[in-house]
Amino acid sequence: MSEERLSIIKVRDILMVTMPADPDDATVSALQERVLLAMERSTARGVVLDVSAVDSLDSFFARMIAETTRMVGLMGGRTVLTGIRPSVAITLTQLGLTLGKTRTALSVDRAFEILRDGSQQVQKP
Amino acid sequence: MNDSLPEEIALRTETDIIVVRKSVREAATRLGFGITDVTRIITAASELARNVFLYAGSGVVRCRVLNGSDRVGLELIVEDHGPGIVDIDQAMQPGYTSGGGLGFGLPGAKRLMDEMEIESVVGKGTKITIKKWRKGT
Ligand SMILES: Nc1ncnc2c1ncn2[C@@H]1O[C@H](COP(=O)(O)OP(=O)(O)OP(=O)(O)O)[C@@H](O)[C@H]1O
Ligand SMILES: [Mg+2]
Repeated sequence: MSEERLSIIKVRDILMVTMPADPDDATVSALQERVLLAMERSTARGVVLDVSAVDSLDSFFARMIAETTRMVGLMGGRTVLTGIRPSVAITLTQLGLTLGKTRTALSVDRAFEILRDGSQQVQKP
Repeated sequence: MNDSLPEEIALRTETDIIVVRKSVREAATRLGFGITDVTRIITAASELARNVFLYAGSGVVRCRVLNGSDRVGLELIVEDHGPGIVDIDQAMQPGYTSGGGLGFGLPGAKRLMDEMEIESVVGKGTKITIKKWRKGT
């Protein structure tokens, strides 16, 4: 139902994924499959996951994000998380959660830069 | 101030967790909690509500304003008639899970709130009470 509010668009060779403000579990679960399918279809090389609309991240949501990052990694892509609000950062840390190896960036622009720079480093040698 | 607080929110499906989060946000915001405390309370409520859904199937969340002599707070009681928690100390250990989670829900909720009390009887159910007091009044 509210699953439709999860938006995935391709910007050049990067998938821009935007989470809705208060996603239900079905939307959060759908995140993994939809992102991975979009990766495959569009041969994107990275994912920017924007959670700036999200005002609370619980342990379930955090686990899904960390898992999605690992899965995208298995497919050869990188994920950069962006838009974590100060209150969410404080709460997540107090909860004792980490987001695994997920890279984070302060803004969508920075997230794109990280993905761009990262691929240059890989291609150079 | 508390007349429009929802008395009881039934937890039967996953989507009820969202209803809990929404109601708790409204209640905490109306009580004048700052954004970080509102987020802490919502997150703790979300963890406990999800546990009910996962381990007990169904339950209920009750929201209450605490009017102390010199302070104001919010109390949430999350109750179910599920299997109960066999070893509460173990369940409170960060990283302990029986259900393939991360095991951060209960200990995390305790850290996010000011007070947390667990009453659980095996075979009868679990009742968890959490409280947060408003700072800087
Ligand atoms: N309402 C409940 N009824 C029965 N058992 C419960 C209840 N809540 C928690 N538990 C037990 O306590 C354990 C720890 O709960 P906690 O929320 O800390 O972690 P989790 O739910 O396993 O993982 P996470 O919340 O990180 O996804 C659970 O695995 C479960 O065995
Ligand atoms: Mg839990």
